[in-house]
Amino acid sequence: MTTHRTPPASAEARFRHIFCHLDAIARYAARRGSRDPEGIAAETMTIAWRKLSAVPADDPRPWLFMTARHLLMAERRRGGRQAPLDPEVLEGVAARPVESGDPEVTAALMELSPNDREALVLIAWDDLTPAQAAASLGIRPVAFRVRLLRARRRFGRALEARASAAERARLLEMESA
Amino acid sequence: MNEITRLRRARPDCSELSVDREALFAAIVSQPADRSARVAPSGRRGRRRKLVLAVALALLVVLTAGTALAVTGVIGWHDDTRIISDPVEWQKLYRDAQSKLTMPPGTKWPVRTLQANTVTSPLQPGGEAVAISQVAWECYWADAIKQGDGQAGRQAQAALTDIARHHILVAPEGTSENTAPNGHVDGPVAIYADDGGFEYFTKMIADAAAGHPATLIQSCRANGPVG
Repeated sequence: MTTHRTPPASAEARFRHIFCHLDAIARYAARRGSRDPEGIAAETMTIAWRKLSAVPADDPRPWLFMTARHLLMAERRRGGRQAPLDPEVLEGVAARPVESGDPEVTAALMELSPNDREALVLIAWDDLTPAQAAASLGIRPVAFRVRLLRARRRFGRALEARASAAERARLLEMESA
Repeated sequence: MNEITRLRRARPDCSELSVDREALFAAIVSQPADRSARVAPSGRRGRRRKLVLAVALALLVVLTAGTALAVTGVIGWHDDTRIISDPVEWQKLYRDAQSKLTMPPGTKWPVRTLQANTVTSPLQPGGEAVAISQVAWECYWADAIKQGDGQAGRQAQAALTDIARHHILVAPEGTSENTAPNGHVDGPVAIYADDGGFEYFTKMIADAAAGHPATLIQSCRANGPVG
């Protein structure tokens, strides 16, 4: 079912609708290891205000995430940690998650490529739909779905491999004891 | 527990924002805003702007008339409830589509069929062929750019432009997944949702032609190789 929203009357009212995503953008930046997630969120909102007509009124989140992603890349470049040139590297540069709440999950995530990792965390941590995630990465929805499917498989295999290794270690420990 | 559920549960906690939201909002909106969003055309200047827009729109229509098939709403749409379930029929439609599309030199059409115990719409085999041709030309163009082969690049650009003009339709927003254009459509078509995908594709072509092939290369990586 398609829903339609009446556009707010003024620029401020419209921006208010966008500004309510401030926290989501700050969390997005924080989960990717930004040194200043609040600064990234504030700058993203400032750009949204300056380019208000370019921000989709019905669903601004992909636009905001994409802008935040570019700001994160700029932050990384300023930090001198990475100077990405290749589009594929650019795509994944923002996908370095901070420690998750589960060490096994963190380790399995770090075994994935940046693109796979980003696909998974956009869905699982940032609560984007596949269509929104695709838009935030500037790729087609169908390409994102394929990437997500492959990433889920690889992530599942990485988790399984870790579980098997842990089980083997436990058995060896029992045998030696 | 599946992997996404486990990943969700491991979502790192993020500290609450320490900024004063209202103060930040006020500080941002006190800056100059996007003029196009803020200033409403009025009076003589507004009328002149409307006139310029109307002329530009008319020019666009003239330039694209008869070529830009992918104009939402120009043609009618309906829910297509016809189905095909026979792989032989599917392959015939796929072959028919191939005869109306092109592939880059040295590239063959991949063998495809309708999976057992599945059904699809009669437009789907053609749509699949369009997607295959499109990705093949994108990758051919990306290779041509890497090798500095200008002629091959122009050939790919022409092929992709032809696909954009004649083999892609954008379904109006809100239509069902079974939507199909009314009346006869000449040649295979891929039906895009009205989600910006078509604009993304045409911008990719324009960017690559202007010497900015990053999106083209990325699309080839994401969608290719054909096979």
